[in-house]
Amino acid sequence: MNINIDAIKKQTYDAIVVGSGISGGWAAKELTEKGLNVAVLERGREIKHVTGYETATKDPWDFAHRGRPDNMAAEQYWAGMRTGYTANEEHRYLFENDKENPYIEKRGGFDWLRAYHTGGKSLLWGRQSYRWNEEDFMANAKEGIGIDWPIRYKDLESWYTYVEKFAGISGQKEGLDVLPDSHFLPPMAMSAPEVHLKNAVKSKMGRPITIGRTAHLTQPAAHHTAIGRGQCQFRDKCMRGCPYGGYFSSLSATLPAAAKTKRLTMIHNAIVSEIIFDEKTQKAKGVRVIDQITKAVTEYYAKIIFLNAGAIGSTAIMMQSKSNRFPNGMGNQSDQLGRNIMDHHLGVGASATVEGFEDDFVYGRRPSGLYIPRFRNWGRDKREYVRGFGYQGGAGRGSWGRGTNMDGFGADFKAEMTQLGGWNIGFTGFGEILPNPENRFTLSPDKKDKWGLPVLEFEAEFGSNELNMRKDMANDMAEMLEAAGFKNVTTYNSTTTHIGLGIHEMGTARMGNDPKTSVLNKNNQVHEVKNVFMTDGACMTSASCVNPSLTYMALTARAADFAVSELKKKNL
Amino acid sequence: MNRRQAISRMAILLGGTLSAPTLSAMERMGTPSVNSADFSLTETQRKILAEVAEHIIPKTNTPGAKDAGVPAFIEMMLKDCYKAPEHNSFITGLVNLEKKNFLNQNKTEQIATLKEVEKENKELMKAYSVKQIKVGDNVDKESMEGKVGVPFWRLVKELTLFGYFTSEQGVTTNFTYEPIPGKFEPIKVQKGQKVTYH
Repeated sequence: MNINIDAIKKQTYDAIVVGSGISGGWAAKELTEKGLNVAVLERGREIKHVTGYETATKDPWDFAHRGRPDNMAAEQYWAGMRTGYTANEEHRYLFENDKENPYIEKRGGFDWLRAYHTGGKSLLWGRQSYRWNEEDFMANAKEGIGIDWPIRYKDLESWYTYVEKFAGISGQKEGLDVLPDSHFLPPMAMSAPEVHLKNAVKSKMGRPITIGRTAHLTQPAAHHTAIGRGQCQFRDKCMRGCPYGGYFSSLSATLPAAAKTKRLTMIHNAIVSEIIFDEKTQKAKGVRVIDQITKAVTEYYAKIIFLNAGAIGSTAIMMQSKSNRFPNGMGNQSDQLGRNIMDHHLGVGASATVEGFEDDFVYGRRPSGLYIPRFRNWGRDKREYVRGFGYQGGAGRGSWGRGTNMDGFGADFKAEMTQLGGWNIGFTGFGEILPNPENRFTLSPDKKDKWGLPVLEFEAEFGSNELNMRKDMANDMAEMLEAAGFKNVTTYNSTTTHIGLGIHEMGTARMGNDPKTSVLNKNNQVHEVKNVFMTDGACMTSASCVNPSLTYMALTARAADFAVSELKKKNL
Repeated sequence: MNRRQAISRMAILLGGTLSAPTLSAMERMGTPSVNSADFSLTETQRKILAEVAEHIIPKTNTPGAKDAGVPAFIEMMLKDCYKAPEHNSFITGLVNLEKKNFLNQNKTEQIATLKEVEKENKELMKAYSVKQIKVGDNVDKESMEGKVGVPFWRLVKELTLFGYFTSEQGVTTNFTYEPIPGKFEPIKVQKGQKVTYH
C-alpha cells in the first residue's frame, strides 16, 4: 500500500475494538468498564438505536412490494436471496449488497451474509441463547478430531452467568446435562399443540422439549431499564431492529453501557485493512483504517487490540497483516488462519398438520420457538456419525396464505380466508459441523474490492459426517411428530444448502494449547502477538450444535478480564 | 441466527405460507432475462384483471380487491418482481379471457368462465412437472422445470390474496390489527370471531 505518511492522522487509545457486533459490543463494554479508553472501529455506517430502525414500525402496506424483494434487489443481494428472508424489503437495509461486496466460491458454496453498521449482526440474530455443555469442549480430544479446546466448561461457567444476567435470557430451567441451564428471565409460553407435543415426546420417548431460550426481556430488571431497555412487546419484528430494546443487541445493551463510562469512542465507516506490527516490541501497535466513503487512511494506536469483525472479517484482517515477521499473515505460523470454517447445517427436519385444538390460539407473536436438545450420541446412544443436533420450531395456525393452494373464489372464499386455518407444526435441525482444515477461505491473489482489499475466496463443503447426520435429523423429527399423533408428517432434507446459511460462521483462527496447530491460546490471545485478541466466531475450535452467540459473549467478557489484568501486570 | 423465526416472519408478511410457485419465480429473479420494463398490459387486459381480482375477493361488508387497489398492485408486482416466464403466462391467461369475451359476460357467466380456468389450472400445474425441493427450514419450494411460467390462475389468485390481505383496507377491516401486542399467551377463540392479524 502506498501511503503518504504525512497525511496519516494518528490517534491513540488504550484499546481498539474492531467491529461493533455481538462480541465487539461486549469487548467495548468490558474494557471501558474496567477503566480503559476504547475506540470501537466499525466498518459500516452509523445506525442509531431506535431512530435508525427505519422499517421497525412499518405496516405491511408501507412496503412497496409488501416485503418481497424485487428483481433489482434479488440481483444485488444474491447471497441474501439464498436465505429466503434477508433480501426482503423489511430487512435488507441491515444487510450488505452482495454485488457491491463480492466474494468468490471457489469450491462448494458458501453463504456469507454481512451486516456492516453499528451493532453488526447483533441487530439481526435469532436471539437463541444456549450454553455449551461439558462434552462440547471435550469432544474433539475424545474423538481425535481437529485439536482439543484449551478450555473446559468450568472455565466459562461463571462468565456465562455474568453475560446472561446483563443480556437477559428468557427460558425454562430443565436441569439437563446436555443443555445447561442459564440464569433465566421468565420463559415464554407454549401454544396448546406445542404443550401436547412436549408431553407426548417426554412420556413416549423420554426426550425433553423446552421453550426457546431467547435473549428477550420478558421481565426487565433495574439494570436493563437503566440503560434504556424495555420489555419485549411480542411484535416479532425483531430483525428490523427493536425500538423497545426488547432483545439484546450491541445497540440496545453493550454500547450504551460502554458509553456510560465516557471512555468509549465510536468511529464509523472505518474499514480496518491491517494490524500494524512493531518488529521491535514484537507486538501490535495499532491498526490501519480506510474510510469507507472517502478512502482516506488513518492509523489508530493502542496497547491492546480486540478483533471482533466476525469469523471471516477478523481473520481476513489477520491475513492482510503481513510483515517481515509474518509474511503469511499475522500469527499464522500454524497455517490455520482461514481454515476449519464451521456453521450449523440446517434445511432438514419435518413438519405435520395437527388435528383438533380448533378453539386454541395465541395472543401476540412469540419471537421464538421450541427447542429440542440434542439426544443423539448422548448418554448411551451411539450412531454411525459423531456429534449431534438440536431442533427449533413450533406450531402455528394457517392464515389467508393457505388460499393460494385451495380451490374457490368469491364471497364465501373471502370470508373463509379471514378465519383461522388448522394448526401446522414444524421443526428444523441445527447440526454440528466438524472442523475440517480444507473448509477454508483465502485472499484472492488478484481480485480486489473497491477499497483495494483482496476479495475472499471460499472453499467449503459438507463432509460425510454432516450428510449422515442429516438422515437422522429428518427421520427423528418425523418420529417425534408421529409420537404426538400429528398427521401428514413429512420430512425434508435440502440438498442445496451451503455452509454459511446458518449465519453461524465459526473457526478460521482456532483456540488451542499449541501454537503450531492453533492461532489463539486459552485466553483468546494470538499466540505470537500477545496484545491481539480474537473473541468472535473465529476463535471456535469446534461448533457444538447450539447457537453460538452466548458463547462468544462469555468468551469475550473472559478475555477482556484477562487482557486488563495482563495490562495491569504490564505483561502487554 | 434462528432460521425458523426468520422464515416464519417472512411467512407472516406473505400471509402464513410461502407459495411454492412464487418462490420458484423469486429464484429466477437473479438470472437476467427480459427487461421488466417490457411488461405492460393493454387497457382491456387491465379491465379483465380488475374483474378477475374482484371475483376472487369481492366487495362484501368489507372492501373488495378493487377498493384495495389490488389490480394495479398485481401489475406492478409482475413488472417488478417477476420475469419473462411469468410475464408470458400471465398475459396468455388474460388473452384467453379476452378471446372468451370475458368483459361482456354477465356475473354468472364470468364465474363459470373462471371456474373453467381454475379447472384448467390444475392440469397446467401438473404439466409444469412440479418438483418439491426443500429450500430451508419448514419451507418447501416447488421447482418448475424449464422456462415455462407459473400458470395465470395461480399467479392471479396468489397476488390477489397477497395484495388484498397486506393492504390497509384488507387488513384493518377483516381482522383485528395489533401491531404492538405487548404480551404473548395461549387463548381460546370461537369460530366466526374476528381474528387477530398475524
